[in-house]
Amino acid sequence: MAEIGHGGKEIVERILEPKEAVERIKGLKSIPVRDQIAKEVINIGYGFFTPLQGFMGKDDLDSVVKTMKLKDGTIWSIPILFDLSEAEVSDYGIKAGDTVLLTYEDNPLAIFEIEEIYTYDKKEICQSVFGTTEEKHPGCARTYKYKDKFLGGKITLVNRPKINPPFEPFFIPPLQMRKIFREKGWQRIVAHQTRNVPHTGHEWLMKGAWLQAYGELPIEKPIVGVLVNAIIGEKRKGDYIDEAIILTHQKLNDAGYFGPHNHMVSLTFWDMRYAGPKEAIFHSMLRTNLGLTHHMFGRDHAGVGDYYDPYDAHRLIISVQDELRIKPTFSMNWLYCPHCGEVTNEGLCNHKDEWQKFSGTLIRSIVMDGVKPPRLIFRPEVFDLVMECAEKYGFGSPFVTDEYLEKRTPVFTIPPLKA
Amino acid sequence: MGEKYPINLWVNEERYEKLKNAGLADMCKEKLAGLKVIQVFADDAQKDQILKLYPMAKFDSSTTKSIELLPREVKDRIFDLVVEKKSIDVIDDFLKSH
Repeated sequence: MAEIGHGGKEIVERILEPKEAVERIKGLKSIPVRDQIAKEVINIGYGFFTPLQGFMGKDDLDSVVKTMKLKDGTIWSIPILFDLSEAEVSDYGIKAGDTVLLTYEDNPLAIFEIEEIYTYDKKEICQSVFGTTEEKHPGCARTYKYKDKFLGGKITLVNRPKINPPFEPFFIPPLQMRKIFREKGWQRIVAHQTRNVPHTGHEWLMKGAWLQAYGELPIEKPIVGVLVNAIIGEKRKGDYIDEAIILTHQKLNDAGYFGPHNHMVSLTFWDMRYAGPKEAIFHSMLRTNLGLTHHMFGRDHAGVGDYYDPYDAHRLIISVQDELRIKPTFSMNWLYCPHCGEVTNEGLCNHKDEWQKFSGTLIRSIVMDGVKPPRLIFRPEVFDLVMECAEKYGFGSPFVTDEYLEKRTPVFTIPPLKA
Repeated sequence: MGEKYPINLWVNEERYEKLKNAGLADMCKEKLAGLKVIQVFADDAQKDQILKLYPMAKFDSSTTKSIELLPREVKDRIFDLVVEKKSIDVIDDFLKSH
């Protein structure tokens, strides 16, 4: 049975078996790639980026910048680009029509069939994707760091990544994920996008989205699930460490706040662009490919600073909803009301003067002060696990430090290729 | 008068003991499902100065309008100033010490 992903296109894994891979890479020029590109190569190979089969050519990029669509008319919001400097292109002696081997950590990663080498105005990309050209916007900063030449062409993975502990069970590519959903009997699955250790506001965002997605379906047996899809990518100092993020979400399941019948946790490799509305569209496409039917969007989805109105992402999604194969569930803020004595929703509770709002930032601040938040705000099992992760993975801190960045075990490695 | 932005000094048992010993326990208020906190306030200029001094800190502009993620040792110093001066009006002194 064909698995249909974003844009109505079939999801196909572009991955060679080792024996064939060893033969195919013989004699190819090697080009080492950095972490961001390696992650995107993996995503292309496993079909996370369906219908993309490789890095974008100029026509696709131009179309995405000008119309938020690929040249074939499929909605696409964030350029997926492979860059080299002019000097590198010259030193490697590569040209359109060449096939090269991409390597990561000195091991073979993928075959890259270069179809074109081109330039494009980075400011134009920034204005379109981020709505600004300011260098202080982290997405613009990343775009300006691209070297001057872009290379478009198909990618075929020759070597599967080795996912390192404790992340192995959480890397579930689209075809495998869809099989799991069928085995669970889930008819609707709602995505929860995260880069955070969950507090009860997050927990209730998920519970609310689950209720919204359930809608009119029969309730005799569980047929709706929440998929926490953690974005694992470049870390900034002060973020929660990756291990704490993924394991605490699983802890909500293990400790019974959810269960295997309605909740699971996975990860996707991606360096956030903080593109707000455009990133919300991108997340919709990604989760469509994972087999989800619904996607939860809260306030200021994937935003940064004050660049976007809190509901810009909702508006953009509504404007192209008919062209997406995933339904949005929009969520209001959850907060603590001392009058109600519970976490409630700003759309429900009317004790407005008594509301105690909390955010991930506020909870991080409490944890940094060495204080255990109340269980209504932060589950004790989650707090204890955060502290355990600090000792086990974070060199004493649950937050990213220079030491963590330098010494952590990478989430994935590329092993030597053996036939 | 311009806007004031809180810095939340969350009160664990250790901090509560210090406050009790100094006769300042009633400076705490309950916030966030009963969690104890002492809030000291910065004005606009002080907020900017603090964020410049501690780039990892963050002004939570969307939810709480408070200055968050100051390093633990910085919060400890501000807390010690509160205990020493028996006042929450300590940000000026704190900044002068830099």
